[in-house]
Amino acid sequence: MWRLTLRNTLARRARLALTLIAVVLGVTFVTGSLILTDTSQRLLDEQFRTSTAGVDLTVRDAAAFDSAMGVEVERDPLPATLVDRIRAVPGVAAARPVVRGQGLLSADGKTIVPPGASLLASWEPAPVGAFTLRAGDPPAADDELVVDADTARRHHIELGDTVTVRAEQTESLRVVGLAGFGDGPGLPNSTVGLVTLPTAQHLLKLGGDVSEVAVVAADGTDVQRLRDRVEAAIGSGYAVSAGQDIAASSAAAAKTQVDHLQLMLFALAAAALLVGALLIANTFSIVITQRTRELAVLRAAGATGAQVLWSVLGEALLVGFTASVAGIGLGVATAAGLRDLAGAFGITLPDGGLVVAPRTMIVAFAVGVGVTVFSAIGPARRAASVAPVEAMRRSAAASAPGGRVRTITGWGMTGIGASSLVAVLAGSGSLALVGAAALAAIAGLALLGPALTPRLARLIGRPLDATGIPGRLARESAARTPRRTAATALALALGLALISFMTVLATSIKDSIQRSYTEVITADYVIESARNEMLGGLSHHVHHHVGELPEVAVASRLRYGHWKDGAHTNALTAVDPVTLPRVTSLRMAAGDLNAISGGGVVLAERAARERHLALGDSLPMTFSRTGTQRLPVVGLLRDRDAQALSTDYIISLDTYSRNYRENMDASVFVKVADGVSDAAAKKAITAKLADHPTAQLRDQAAAVAGRTMSIDQILGLVSVLLMLTILIALMGITNTLALSIIERTREIGLLRAVGMTRGQLRWMIRGEAVLIAVLAIVVGVGLGIAFAAGTVSALGSTAELALVVPAGRLVLVVAVATLAGLLAGMLPARRAAKLDVLTAIATS
Amino acid sequence: MTTGFAPAAQPSPTRSAIAAQVRDVVKTYGRGDTAVRALDGVNLEIAAERFTAVMGPSGSGKSTLMHALAGLDTINAGQVLLGDTDLSGLGERKRTLLRRDRIGFVFQSFNLVPTLTAAENIVLPLPLAGRPPDRAWIDDLVATLGLGDRLRHRPAELSGGQQQRVAVARALAARPQIVFADEPTGNLDSRAGEALLSFLRHAAHELGQTIVMVTHDPNAAAFADRVVFLADGRVVGDLAEPTAAAILSRMASIDAPATRKTR
Ligand SMILES: Nc1ncnc2c1ncn2[C@@H]1O[C@H](COP(=O)(O)OP(=O)(O)OP(=O)(O)O)[C@@H](O)[C@H]1O
Ligand SMILES: [Mg+2]
Repeated sequence: MWRLTLRNTLARRARLALTLIAVVLGVTFVTGSLILTDTSQRLLDEQFRTSTAGVDLTVRDAAAFDSAMGVEVERDPLPATLVDRIRAVPGVAAARPVVRGQGLLSADGKTIVPPGASLLASWEPAPVGAFTLRAGDPPAADDELVVDADTARRHHIELGDTVTVRAEQTESLRVVGLAGFGDGPGLPNSTVGLVTLPTAQHLLKLGGDVSEVAVVAADGTDVQRLRDRVEAAIGSGYAVSAGQDIAASSAAAAKTQVDHLQLMLFALAAAALLVGALLIANTFSIVITQRTRELAVLRAAGATGAQVLWSVLGEALLVGFTASVAGIGLGVATAAGLRDLAGAFGITLPDGGLVVAPRTMIVAFAVGVGVTVFSAIGPARRAASVAPVEAMRRSAAASAPGGRVRTITGWGMTGIGASSLVAVLAGSGSLALVGAAALAAIAGLALLGPALTPRLARLIGRPLDATGIPGRLARESAARTPRRTAATALALALGLALISFMTVLATSIKDSIQRSYTEVITADYVIESARNEMLGGLSHHVHHHVGELPEVAVASRLRYGHWKDGAHTNALTAVDPVTLPRVTSLRMAAGDLNAISGGGVVLAERAARERHLALGDSLPMTFSRTGTQRLPVVGLLRDRDAQALSTDYIISLDTYSRNYRENMDASVFVKVADGVSDAAAKKAITAKLADHPTAQLRDQAAAVAGRTMSIDQILGLVSVLLMLTILIALMGITNTLALSIIERTREIGLLRAVGMTRGQLRWMIRGEAVLIAVLAIVVGVGLGIAFAAGTVSALGSTAELALVVPAGRLVLVVAVATLAGLLAGMLPARRAAKLDVLTAIATS
Repeated sequence: MTTGFAPAAQPSPTRSAIAAQVRDVVKTYGRGDTAVRALDGVNLEIAAERFTAVMGPSGSGKSTLMHALAGLDTINAGQVLLGDTDLSGLGERKRTLLRRDRIGFVFQSFNLVPTLTAAENIVLPLPLAGRPPDRAWIDDLVATLGLGDRLRHRPAELSGGQQQRVAVARALAARPQIVFADEPTGNLDSRAGEALLSFLRHAAHELGQTIVMVTHDPNAAAFADRVVFLADGRVVGDLAEPTAAAILSRMASIDAPATRKTR
């Protein structure tokens, strides 16, 4: 039997080829995603482990939490005297002061703005420092600088060159050495500047203070005990942590972005695999139908039903196995491409050697073989139930429209999905209900497919009749085999539903961001960092410099910060209550914005509702630097206005500076002085910004674009990756039609004999392909829009959001999908046209 | 219809016009050692408005000849003329259009498109050509063939005899120059077969339709005006106004061993 299975599979390799490709693509996606995320995580781990490799303990200022939303919190500097106190603790071999901060490098008058950090640190030789000299000397004098070899190579910096470092102070320094990091030439996506300790303190305006103290334990000293001793010696107010713990927590913070990406990739891979599974089930089912005669002969010759079942599953196993091997290979090859793709859409991942974990192989195999075999179970059972007498019957190609139970269940599920959606649209529903409704509707439609398809295909295919008999035959052929038409269309519909869902949702969100922004923000310009840093990343000097300009009437700055309530991390915005009303039209629902000057907090209405807080209550907020503080609620802001500022919690800048060490602005709103032309103001401001290369002057449109950019980027990446799902679905159309042509050889021969030209025949097949695509478009885009509306409605209860259907984009999706359907029909159409009339007639 | 061709090598059984003509046609399948000469210098004239039967042992080249005449297949040498059109020089597309516009077909089985109704199957070649059907003519055909109450049915809902009658109606619907039928009664019982053959005879005599039928069955061939005998790719006999008995004896004399295979 196994021999027969192998021979069968090989004999039908042409029919199974597209199935194979579908599995290969799915496995490629899974493998690529796993490799990419494993690699990124390992590189981040290594990076942070290397950076603390030679350090046993690190002493820093105490903080309530280390990092939030992937950003490490800034801590207060330590007095230099602490170093001597630590050094005096028995068991300490060395205690070295370290200064670390941000410093932009400029070479040849051009500022280098890496996608990641611009690290500026004091030089420390190993084992404390993680950087190793690759050329030249370490910085010894105050005007000397070492840069990482990677940056030097990219920007043609050589020993002896002058490089300007911009931190709190700006200095021009001479490059005396090039450093590497661990085995690599630098830090991924970053620039590194290393200077002497005094220069670092000067550049970062730390006076005599240091960022942290690195401690190396004496040989034979127990690090845990040493830690306790150091803690006891310097008292509370300082945090003493093991180097490896810091590495782990830093890496964890940096990995949050990778985790999000991983989740997204897995979701998309699942979609691709689901569509692939549909295609596999369909292909096996068609092939079994076509082999009914042969299977019956086998049964008549004495094969048991179980043997037939296992022979079909064996075929699936063989296909799954082959596809998994190919998919893993392709996955390894494309992982780097996936990284570049993510990079193109603004998600920068560390660059380095790929990590192919054994787990990746196992998962990829399990997924590839599992999905294939699982999808083949239904068809295999049908094959096993073929009765020997069917060998005698003429096999009928037409498939049954599906049983009554199936149809009734289908209507039931679809009904549940639809009514839940209506409930959500009527304003009483959560996101979870939308998700459940979507699942119910999709499952319902999948069950209804065979029953619904003939009518739907005849209805939608009506325009095809205009093209005469070929069109009419295309329509009938799609309607005659409802099971396979439904399965093929559903696969494509799922892909299209996801794309239209994402498109509609993203457009709605973008639109609401834009509307609330333009309504609430009255500033003429906003200055923001070109880099999309979590806390804004705009130098605090900008506000000062721009505010001084006579062309500027008001400059009001905003800062972002993180705080925690228990385990949850939240964001807040710090504003100047005096100047903010002059650049915005904020309306309070209760209380007064000015009251935040007294140390209170203003909440967005919905945040107050969620927390059951009213004016006069107090909100406990945990800040990294100062711990838990109870802030009185002094005002409630309308939700729409809160959304314009992208915040739910507002405090004053004074409160901020008491509780945060961070000294960065997120944005500066600018109102131009009366009588000053826009052009003049713009020129003056731009001139002031020359010293701040990352600062960008944006008008309202650009500011909105900056806020919606990440949505566009994610939508772009998701759409590109969903294309893979669509591609698999299109291969499904090609496959179904190619198989159906094999079945319809006689019919095609007849049509050709009575005078159908090759051209007409090709249009007949392409017509059917387009019909399936249009069927999928109607269902898919319909579902996508409906559930985007549901999601918008569900989100609308907690955020200002209205449904916006981007007609242009959807028309594009429809046009592309139709065209793709036409393309999917090309190959089968060509095959059909190539059929020799006589052979076709002679086929029994 | 065209006249004025040079007299054929064989005496024509009728004096009427010639609808199609085959001259020294050679058709080989395969190459080298395995080459089969399916047609080995066939010469034949098909009289217009007559019902001609082609008989011969299995493998004698009957179907091959019909395919060559109908423009379904190309030939290696010789000439096939339909009216005054030389088929041997035509490309694939021209032959398709010729089949569509000037030829009708009835096959042994699978004559109908399963997704179309009987009525749609009958007119099938006309919309393919973008021509309007001649309603009166088709109604007439349908009535004569007794298909009036079956027009809305799909092939699967028709009996074998009804299916073949629909196929005949389709073959005649466009009033082709010539109708080819390859064992049209092969799958029918004798009653249904006889009804169909009577109609074909009627179509030739009363409706002026030229018909060529390939058959194994002497009883079927007896309905024709003339029987042409083929053996090993050559015309080996010709019988005008045949009877079943005359056909049987002629077959026996032509190729004794081969007759064993005939049904
Ligand atoms: N496509 C083909 N390839 C190779 N040989 C062929 C092909 N078609 C026919 N032949 C050969 O040509 C010869 C004539 O075949 P043809 O089908 O014309 O016979 P026939 O008289 O119609 O027989 P039957 O009564 O069995 O239908 C046979 O020897 C056959 O094997
Ligand atoms: Mg034959």
